[in-house]
Amino acid sequence: MFFCALGLSRGGWASLALAVGLLCALPRLLWAQASAPANCALLLSGRVLDHESRTALAGATVVVLETRQATQTEPDGHYHLDNLCPGTYHVQVSFVGFAPETDEVRLTAAAYRDFRLHPDAVALKGAVVSGQRVAAPVTQAATTLTEKDLQQTRGQTLGEALQKVNGVTALQTGPGIFKPMIHGLHSNRVTILNNGVRQEGQQWGQEHGPEIDPFLASQLTVVKGAASVRYGSDAVGGVVLVQPRPLRDSAGTGAELNLVGMSNNGLGAASGTVEGNLRRLPALSWRAQGTVRKAGTMRAPGYYLKNSGFEEGNFSGAVGWRKPTYGAEVFYSQFNTRIGILPAAHVGNQQDFLLAVSRDRPLETTGFTYDIERAYQQVRHEVLKFTGFVKTGNAGRLSTTVAQQVDARDEYDKYRPRNDNRAALDRPALSYTNRTSTAELLWEHRPWRGFTGSVGLAGTYQFNRYADGSRQFIPFYTNYVGGLFWLEQWQQGRWLLEGGLRLDRRDLQVKRATREGGVFGVEESRFQYTTPAASLGAVYDASTHLTLRLASGLTRRAPAPNERFSDGVHNAQYELGYDLVPGNSPAVPETALNLGLTATLHDNPRLNGEMTVYQTRIQGFLYQSPILPPVVNIRGVLASWQFQQTDATLRGLDVSGSYQLAPRWLLAGKAAVVRGRDTRQDEWLIFMPADRAELSLRYEPASRASGHLQNSYVQVLGTGVARQTRVPRNYAERDYRLPPAGYGLLGLEAGTTLHWGRLPLELSVAGSNLLNQRYRDYLNRYRYFADEMGRNLTLRLRVPLEFSRPKSTP
Amino acid sequence: MKNLLFRSAFLAALAAAPMLSSCSDDNNDTPTPDDDNEQITTLRYELTPTTGGATLTAQYRDVDGDGGAAPVISGLTLAPNTTYTGKLVLLDETKNPAEDISAEVKEEADEHLFLFEAVGTNVTVTRTDRDKNNLEVGLDTRLQTAAANATGTTGTLKITLRHQPGTKNGTATPGDTDVEVTFPTAVR
Repeated sequence: MFFCALGLSRGGWASLALAVGLLCALPRLLWAQASAPANCALLLSGRVLDHESRTALAGATVVVLETRQATQTEPDGHYHLDNLCPGTYHVQVSFVGFAPETDEVRLTAAAYRDFRLHPDAVALKGAVVSGQRVAAPVTQAATTLTEKDLQQTRGQTLGEALQKVNGVTALQTGPGIFKPMIHGLHSNRVTILNNGVRQEGQQWGQEHGPEIDPFLASQLTVVKGAASVRYGSDAVGGVVLVQPRPLRDSAGTGAELNLVGMSNNGLGAASGTVEGNLRRLPALSWRAQGTVRKAGTMRAPGYYLKNSGFEEGNFSGAVGWRKPTYGAEVFYSQFNTRIGILPAAHVGNQQDFLLAVSRDRPLETTGFTYDIERAYQQVRHEVLKFTGFVKTGNAGRLSTTVAQQVDARDEYDKYRPRNDNRAALDRPALSYTNRTSTAELLWEHRPWRGFTGSVGLAGTYQFNRYADGSRQFIPFYTNYVGGLFWLEQWQQGRWLLEGGLRLDRRDLQVKRATREGGVFGVEESRFQYTTPAASLGAVYDASTHLTLRLASGLTRRAPAPNERFSDGVHNAQYELGYDLVPGNSPAVPETALNLGLTATLHDNPRLNGEMTVYQTRIQGFLYQSPILPPVVNIRGVLASWQFQQTDATLRGLDVSGSYQLAPRWLLAGKAAVVRGRDTRQDEWLIFMPADRAELSLRYEPASRASGHLQNSYVQVLGTGVARQTRVPRNYAERDYRLPPAGYGLLGLEAGTTLHWGRLPLELSVAGSNLLNQRYRDYLNRYRYFADEMGRNLTLRLRVPLEFSRPKSTP
Repeated sequence: MKNLLFRSAFLAALAAAPMLSSCSDDNNDTPTPDDDNEQITTLRYELTPTTGGATLTAQYRDVDGDGGAAPVISGLTLAPNTTYTGKLVLLDETKNPAEDISAEVKEEADEHLFLFEAVGTNVTVTRTDRDKNNLEVGLDTRLQTAAANATGTTGTLKITLRHQPGTKNGTATPGDTDVEVTFPTAVR
């Protein structure tokens, strides 16, 4: 019972620490009361609140330093200390995750005194480290989307949801595919950690979204800037941590149901989770989760976008065994999706292509349907993971993660085979399987003179194959990576310093089919790289309300197989890797130097905010750009792309803030600016996100404590995106279409928690693009052919269920 | 004691786990030719004057598949006021021996339709073959030229193959485009 009341919000470890704290405090409490003089009978009482959220803190410790009297706050945050003599006392209040506070109290009669504690950022991060979750580096700009934030994105893909984070945009392909882009960097430069496992899908296409069910996550953290020391050399641009809730640690069974419906494309999504912890075997916890999602044809203002539907079916399960000194967990998940591809991208000759690109709307439109026709993608991603930890006596904690991932991707062309026998087989034109085994061994040493740190070993074995009869696009390859890293943190007063080193060795073997002059052959090549990484950063708490962070990182990243050897057509796009461009020598590794400075204004009653300025210099920056004139095959012209390598400097600014206008009115805004320069050619980089800003006003009406409606809110949101004017010279000859005009969108959202019997139903309705604006986004690959989604209303419902009967007090 | 033993065993298992993860040797696989994957690398339009004489050929050829070396396209220079008998040949030269796609098209003639469109030159093409539903196909044609092009000008002849399984009705509209090739063409 105690655990239920206290622990769940802060994870198992915090509640455990709390329970231990309570046990330790108990004897002192008894002693203090017994020794109070009889003639003193004054009462000191009050409440302890979280300064930021104003919520009551249950289980906080209140100590009168002079008399050593102590107590714990009740579930509603109240505390009472009686039998005090008149006089002046110092009262200290402390709570896990908050900075302790001491206040002077002059007592002449019974007194009432409230305390508001400030969340202690550093201590909180520490608490996260000791749990099962992967902690974000503290010196870097990082944004976490909590369950509450995620609730507003339910039904969307992972990449779409991440756009809530300032500084994160997405490379988009129609309504179903979003590839996260952090500070202008994406694909092979953004690492996604799915429940502690490096996501190794098939990210070789710009229209390949991360193969992850966002309903799995109870928390999404985006680390902006290089975090290569901890996560490997691919994390040049940043890291996305997809984190499920830790397994249940209190006896009983709980469940959660999420339902989402959208008006524009008829999207329906349902996701359910059931989890439990056995009363007889408290070490054993389990969870099962599943999601289905289906969308029909998307409607742009004025027309339906043909073949834009998608469907998804995912499930996962986890079983954990956890004791204070050791624990283990097995996790399995499967992600399945089928996504339709717009036929407008399939065009005939050069003239038709130019026409298709210049049209206001695609030639072929359609009515509404849930059917997915050719062309489409069919993707399955499986993850099997084992994690375990053991506390190595006084020395620290050893943990391991071993995972196997299989990613199968089939892409069906719009065109059926001409031969009826082959057509009857209904085989995909591209059928790829990527299998990755990853393993990590991490030892966190115990704190020593202000130092905490970890040493780790990481290994990856990956192989990529395509099925017999499939078209070659990415060659066969086998990739071995071994790495060693060491991260150390030192904390003293208001300062925290963090430094780290990493060394990776990569062995890449490639077998590529060639057809020079029409003769089939296999070309074998092998590449070996040693890539170091280093990081140094600091956190300085300038005051209780201002924290400064400085992070720097140096990374070398070996070019990925797709950047070098892509070759061919998939879903009506032609792509060519760097090594295969006539006249190019093999691509060289990228060297990136990243600097970031973040100032955070926090825990203020009215004004809070964050500002990040950053610069990333990348030598040998690999990027994709259109080929003009486009490549021709016997069917006609294909939108064509090839990889190029240059030197680049990306600079930018993320600003976000909120201002409490009045007790129930919150004004919030954010803006992100990225400037990318090609320093070799001295011009702007292609496909950089345009400047964007967002402003919202939120009103939370008062609700009676006994009322049926709680936590109600209404929010109006305006988003503005400028035209991207910073593009390479002679842009009309470098891209198929000029960057689209800027746009402004209006959104409205309202939500509440409806108490229906004992069930709290979280309901919300959100409208996006309310003015049904026609617009295109520079980073959407469909922008050449079609507009973005028109007006859309989303209805969301979340129902948490608790099956365990209340247990009598132990 | 028992606990310590258990802990040490667990520790050892943890440390060893990364090494146990399968590293089966899949290194011996080699890519094979993608025989199931249809390609049309070559389209030839062979024209023989009805009055006899040398055969003229327009050709599109791209033996290394999509991308790579650009396709080689050779056009037509036709005599004025002449009638030619036209024959289309389609090949997949990535296969060994080369696959005769035109034979396949002929077999499934009720699913295919060729379109001929001349622009800027006095050329008219008529389809002379029919499928089992008595709809035209276009593997065999008659090409009629009229007056010569104005000096220094060249037109084009666009040949399109529409794949219309189950939907063929004699018009170009149903189905997908399997081939679309444009040849520079002049009548001199």
